[in-house]
Amino acid sequence: MQYAPSRDGAETVPPVLRIAGLSKTFGATRALIDASLDIRPGEIHALVGQNGSGKSTLIKTLAGYHEPDAGSRAELDGAQFDLGRTVPEGLRFVHQDLGLVLELNAMDNLALHGGFARGAIGRVHWREQEQETHRILARFGVDLDIHRPLAAATPVERTVVAIAAALQGWNGGHGVLVLDEPTAVLPHDEVERLFAMVREVRSAGTSVLYVSHRLDEIFELADRVTVLRGGRVITTHAVADIDAAGLASEMVGEEVDPDYRAPVAARPDAPVVLEARDIHGRWLRGVDLDVHRGEILGIAGLAGAGVLELPYVIAGCAQHAVSGRIRLPERSEAWSEAGDARDLDIPLVPADRGREGIVAEFAVSENLSLSILGRLGRRGRLDKRAEADLVEQWTQRLGVVAAGPGAPIATLSGGNQQKVVVARCLVRDPALLVLCEPTAGVDIGTRVAIYDLIAELSRNGLTVVLSSSDAGDVLAMCTRVVVLRGGRVAAELGGDGLTEHALVSAMEGEDR
Amino acid sequence: MTLTAVPEPVTEPAAPERAVAARTGPSSAQRLARGLAFDRIGAVYVWLGIIVLFSVWAPQTFPNLDTAKQILNSNAITALGALSITIPLAARVFDLSFAGVMTLTGVAVAHLIVEEHVPVVAAIAIALGVGVGIGVINAVVVVVMRIDSFIATLATGSLIAALVTMVTNEVPITDARLGGTFAKIGQTSVSGITLGVVYCAVVAVAIWYLLEHTATGRRLYATGFNPDAARLAGVRIDRLRFASLVASGGLAGATGIILASTLGSGSPSAGTPYLLPAFAAAFLGATQLKHGRFNAGGTIIAVLLLGTGVTGLALANAPSWAGDMFVGVVLIAALALTGLQRRTSAR
Repeated sequence: MQYAPSRDGAETVPPVLRIAGLSKTFGATRALIDASLDIRPGEIHALVGQNGSGKSTLIKTLAGYHEPDAGSRAELDGAQFDLGRTVPEGLRFVHQDLGLVLELNAMDNLALHGGFARGAIGRVHWREQEQETHRILARFGVDLDIHRPLAAATPVERTVVAIAAALQGWNGGHGVLVLDEPTAVLPHDEVERLFAMVREVRSAGTSVLYVSHRLDEIFELADRVTVLRGGRVITTHAVADIDAAGLASEMVGEEVDPDYRAPVAARPDAPVVLEARDIHGRWLRGVDLDVHRGEILGIAGLAGAGVLELPYVIAGCAQHAVSGRIRLPERSEAWSEAGDARDLDIPLVPADRGREGIVAEFAVSENLSLSILGRLGRRGRLDKRAEADLVEQWTQRLGVVAAGPGAPIATLSGGNQQKVVVARCLVRDPALLVLCEPTAGVDIGTRVAIYDLIAELSRNGLTVVLSSSDAGDVLAMCTRVVVLRGGRVAAELGGDGLTEHALVSAMEGEDR
Repeated sequence: MTLTAVPEPVTEPAAPERAVAARTGPSSAQRLARGLAFDRIGAVYVWLGIIVLFSVWAPQTFPNLDTAKQILNSNAITALGALSITIPLAARVFDLSFAGVMTLTGVAVAHLIVEEHVPVVAAIAIALGVGVGIGVINAVVVVVMRIDSFIATLATGSLIAALVTMVTNEVPITDARLGGTFAKIGQTSVSGITLGVVYCAVVAVAIWYLLEHTATGRRLYATGFNPDAARLAGVRIDRLRFASLVASGGLAGATGIILASTLGSGSPSAGTPYLLPAFAAAFLGATQLKHGRFNAGGTIIAVLLLGTGVTGLALANAPSWAGDMFVGVVLIAALALTGLQRRTSAR
C-alpha cells in the first residue's frame, strides 16, 4: 500500500501537519506550553494525556475555537496557516459530542456539513441528495435508514455519520482527520467497528489524529503516539517502541508519583457511615455500597459504567429516575429512597466545574456561601459580615489564591475555582463528601494540591467518596476502590491488592 | 462530623499577599469613585444629559417642577410593571403575561364593584387573588409542566385575554361607583405626586431588600445564572421559580388594580401598552448598578431615563414616532455596550 504506516525510517517524509511552539494561556493557567507535533502522511497518530493535560485545548486551537499565544506556528502540507483564526480545508474534525443534529436524519446531517444538491430557485434535488448520502455511507459499510432521525440510530452509526460528514468534499490530497475521544460513548463491542472505519480512512491516504486516554486502543490502532502532560509535549514514540506501563508513567509523570498514596490508613473496622443498596439508574444496574468513616473510597470505571452517575445519586442530585435505598446509619436507622437522597444533605463536588460547579457571574464569596445562605443571618436577612468571616476562614484554610473575596470567580485558575467548590461543600459540615472527577481540567501542580487537601480532610475525620474515570486520581488518594463495569460492582480493591495493573484490568474487564 | 472547629490552613497559601485574606476594604474615596463609574450607572449620566438637552430644546415647557411631577406620575405604573417582572427575571424566568394580568385584575375589580355590587375592599381582595391565581397557573405550567417560560407565559397571556373578553365583552367598564373610595387608590395626590409613585417606591425598596439582602435573593440570582450549579449546591430552584412567578402575578395584579383606579374604569386593553416598556426598563436596568443582575434600583433608573426622554420629546413637539424610536435606540445601545464590556473584560 502506498501509504504504509510509517514506522521507523520515515523521517524523510515531510509531515502533513506540523505544529510548533504552540502555547495557550487562560488567565492564570497555562494550558499549553510550547507544544510541538508532527503528523506524517497516512499515519494514525494518537494523542494521549490525562484530564487537564492540554489535549482538548490543543484540539480546540486547531479547530479555531481558541486563539493561541503569540509565537505559535502551524503548517499543513507545507502551507503555513493562522492557528485559531483559519482552519485549512485539509483539517477535519469529529468532536466528542459529534456535532450532529439528532432530530434530523443522516441525509440532512451530511447535507448540513457538505451542502445540499440544489437546482433552480434553491430547490433541493432530494433524489440526488439521497444517492449521494448512500454513496458516502457505503464507503464505511454502514447500512442505516437515512430517513430516520439520528436519535434513533446506534451510537456507532452516529459516529460514522459524523466521520462521513467531516470528510465530505475531501479533495483527496494530504490532510488530517481529528477524532476527539471517539470511543467515549461507544459500547465495547462497537469499538472494533469504529477501528475498522478509522483504518478505512487511513487507507485512502488521510492521516488521523486520534485523541484518547484509553491505552489499549492506542496499542491496537495507532502507529505513533504523542504524550501530553501539564500542557507540555513529553514525547512522541512509535507505538511499537513502548509498552502500556511505560506510556502510563509518561502520562502520569514524575510530578505525580504513580506509587504515591495519600497518607491515609484504610479503616475497614471503622463504623459504616453510608449504606446504599440496590441502586439502579440510567447506567447503574444494582449497586451496593458501604462507606466506612474516615476512608477515601474510590469509585472507578470507564465512561458509561455508571461512575459518573453514582455520586449524583448519593448526593440526591440524579437527573434521571433512580431506585434503591440509602441511609446514614449513624444519623438514622431508617432507609431513604434513593430518589429522596437529597434530604440526607450530602454535598457533591460535581464533575463539570464550569457547567455545574461555579456560578460564573458570581464573586468568590457568593460562590462559596451559596450552600449555606440559610444559616447566614436571621429571619431571611443575609448577614454580610458573617458571610465575609466565613469566606475568609475557608479561603484561608484551603489556600484559595484570588484577588479578594469580591473577585469574580471567573478570574481564578481552574484549581482555585475547584477549591472554592470544595469549600462550598465543606461549610455544610457534612458527614461525608462526594467528589466527582475532582481533578478534571486542573494542571498537575494543582492536582497534587487537591490530593493533599483531600488527604488532610480525611485525616481530620471527613469521609470521602471519590469517583473518577482517571485511574491516577483513584490510585493516588483512595484507601479502597470499588470498580464499576456495566453498571455493576465488578471488583473491590484495597490494601496490597490496589495496584495500577489490578485497577486498570478491573476497569477494562476481561473482554477487552 | 469531626472537622476541627478552628480550621487550620491545610495548605499554605501559595502567595500570601495575593490570598483572599486582604479584607481591608477600599477607602471611601475609592468606593465613591467606583460607585459613580460610568460602567455602573451610565444610564444616570445619560439621564442627566437628557434633562440638560430638553431644558435647552424646550426651555418654556420642560425644565420645571410640574414636568418632573408629570414624569413621575405617568411612569409609576410602568415602573410597577417592570418591578413585578424583575423578580422572575432575576431567576431567568420570563413573565410575558404580566400585562394581561394587569388588565384582568383591573377589569375584574371594576366588574365586581359595578356589576356585582361587591364592597370595594372585598373586590380588591378578590382581584388580587385572581392575580396570584394566574401566577400559580404560570408557575404550574413553567415549573411543573416544564414548558419554557417565554412561550408558556405567552400562552397563559392568551388565556387571560380570553377571560378579559369574557368579563368585558370588549367594552370598558365605567360607572360612578368607580369614582368614590376606589378612585382614591390611584388618584389621591399629595402636592402633585400621586399615590402610585409612593407604591412604586415601597415596592422598589422591598425588591431591593429581597434581592440584595436576603438569602432568597442570592439564590434567585444563582438560579438565574447557573441552575445546575445552584441545584447541586442545595438551592431549591424549582421552588424559587415557582414563587417568583406567583410573586409577579400578585404584583402585576396589584398594579392592574391601581391602574384601574387611576383610569376610573376597567378597560379591556389597559395593560397592553405596558408590556414592552416594562421589559425594556427591566433589561436596561440590569445593565445598571449590578452588572447583569436584574435589580430594583437599576429598573427605576431605567424607567426614569426612558420616561424623561419620552416626555421631553413630547414637550419639545418632536414627531409622534420619536418616543418609540428613543426607547428602541437606548435599549439597543445599552445592551450592546454591556455586551461589549463583558467581552472585553473577559479577555
